[in-house]
Amino acid sequence: MTRYKRQDPELTRRKFINAAMGGAAAVGGISLISTLGAAKPAFRLTPQLAPPLAGDIIVHSDPSRYGEPVKVSDLSEQLVRAWPAFKDEGGKLVVRDQDPTSVLAVYRFPKGQIVEPTNLEATIDGEIVAYGDRCTHAGCNVEDNKQQPGLMNCPCHSGQYDPKQGCKVIGGPPPHPLPQLPIKLEGEQLVVTGFFMSVPYGYSKEEDWKRYTEQVQEALS
Amino acid sequence: MNQWLDERLHISRLNDKFLRKAFPVHHSFFLGEITLFSLIVLILTGILLALSYEPSNTLVVNSFDPGTGDKPNLIPAAYHSALKINAMPFGDMLRRTHHWMANIMIAASVIHMMRIYFTGAFKKPREINWWIGMLLLIFAALTAVTGYILPYDNYAYQTAGVVYAITKSVPWVGDWLAQAAFAGQFPGAGIIPRIYGYHIMLLPGILLAATGAHMLLMIKQKHTQPQYAKRIAYKKIVGVPLLTQQTPIMLTLTLLFTGIVLLFGAFIPVHPVEYFGPPSSTPISNIKPDWYLLWVFGALAIIPAFDFELLGGTIGAEFVGAMVFPGIVVGLMFAVPMLDRAKENNYYAENPTNHPVRLGAGVAFMAFMLMLSLAGYKPDLIAAGVLTSANANTILWILVFAVPALTYFAVLGIVRMIRALREADEREAAAHSQQALSADD
Repeated sequence: MTRYKRQDPELTRRKFINAAMGGAAAVGGISLISTLGAAKPAFRLTPQLAPPLAGDIIVHSDPSRYGEPVKVSDLSEQLVRAWPAFKDEGGKLVVRDQDPTSVLAVYRFPKGQIVEPTNLEATIDGEIVAYGDRCTHAGCNVEDNKQQPGLMNCPCHSGQYDPKQGCKVIGGPPPHPLPQLPIKLEGEQLVVTGFFMSVPYGYSKEEDWKRYTEQVQEALS
Repeated sequence: MNQWLDERLHISRLNDKFLRKAFPVHHSFFLGEITLFSLIVLILTGILLALSYEPSNTLVVNSFDPGTGDKPNLIPAAYHSALKINAMPFGDMLRRTHHWMANIMIAASVIHMMRIYFTGAFKKPREINWWIGMLLLIFAALTAVTGYILPYDNYAYQTAGVVYAITKSVPWVGDWLAQAAFAGQFPGAGIIPRIYGYHIMLLPGILLAATGAHMLLMIKQKHTQPQYAKRIAYKKIVGVPLLTQQTPIMLTLTLLFTGIVLLFGAFIPVHPVEYFGPPSSTPISNIKPDWYLLWVFGALAIIPAFDFELLGGTIGAEFVGAMVFPGIVVGLMFAVPMLDRAKENNYYAENPTNHPVRLGAGVAFMAFMLMLSLAGYKPDLIAAGVLTSANANTILWILVFAVPALTYFAVLGIVRMIRALREADEREAAAHSQQALSADD
């Protein structure tokens, strides 16, 4: 046996082909990944996509009364589902119904039943209260609990909320309470006075929601 | 003509290699075939449906109920086309057949996998085919979910919202991932074209490719032989050839089976799009996924709420319940062939009672899935007064773990009993043959 090992200064065919295949795979892979950029479209804020804003009126979302303003007499301990809406320059009603996060649940309870941690100043006389109606767990619309009137139940994964106590979570998997929406009464109409007061579905942290509201204000100013 | 074809296409080689493939004679070996036939019928009915379906969520005037000039009744084009398909001759039946066939394909593949697992057919050298089969199951479920969204009625809309939320719950990249997968924030303007692409091109392509690989490997490695083959001809392939013996059996089975499913489609209503109505903010009570995903739904319903931060990403109950936990379950199923350390190739289907631990673990796993699926009925159980919202989670959690454990030990006990009886039988038979022998003397 000889200990001599042949030193070949030139590139062997095998090495060349391996390098060429590796190089081609890398270039091809990267260019394929770059096309994925096109998969996510850019987000553009339109009036219909905007969250409930100060000055919006609250209108029915039910198909039979769609777009009619919600009146105090419509409200009870039964959930009334609603959208925020506004009148554009031409005086035409524009409903902000493109982002499901904007859908609202409006309740009216006898005086004294609504307690902390509900923000009482953001309710109407401590009687009428509005929340975002999108479960903070998986974004389903939350409905009345049919067994226990006055409570809310999410049909998707059994999240339970108490609308008399700031919609805090009283059962199931949701991570946050439903966000309260500050409202006031202007004549016959319920009017929004600000943004949701806590994180709605889709934002995991307070900062994310704050940042989004700032972006919205900037886009509209 | 045979010779002419043979000289060009080497038919005789094809014949020797593929068309003479021996099929074991046992009814349990038809389960995989039923899965395959379902896939073929799904593709055929799917093509017919695609011809009349409009993949768009742009709002159009409902031609069945146009509303008034100043207040037109607008519904998504996809939903409108689903209504139109229902209105065309046999259209509703076509939709239902497609739906039923999808359910039956998954059911048949699950039972097919149970046959493979309990008889040890996943053992060396067939591990790769077990893994391809797992991929087929996962992609079949994904195809089914995307198919659910296409009619774009309120049910589909609410389902899509939950699927979006699950995708979004992935820490760090969830937002990007969900928006890339569903064409923007839910419900994006392009969601239906995107899902349509997945459901009719991407996923069926993957399913067909994986099915092809599954079958080629099966032909290369041969079926596991049933026990009777061991007695007839040890270490020889026993069975009937594909052409011309197995083919008529297969055709009869396909026609009979497709006929039965067509009857299902004709008489058993399923997913009535008119009833659910167009997408709206009114939730659908009792919304549930199909039975094969009910266990994930159940896990989500009983997992307590939590979320914590890890290196800037949020890990919540949704991610753990819908991604990590099913990941572990599916991972366990993937790992099944690796738990077997035999070096020898396995030729024969094994008697499950000779492998009590494997049998017990398999039945316990099924009990686990059943209990999780039961947890998916939590709201109904509470509404029926069987459980209260205070104790439901505790009781369901106990059931999820206690029932499989009990099942496991019960199976071990039953197997021990069966084996004792069998041994007693053998002793008795031996004693009788002894007597018979001595009587002969």
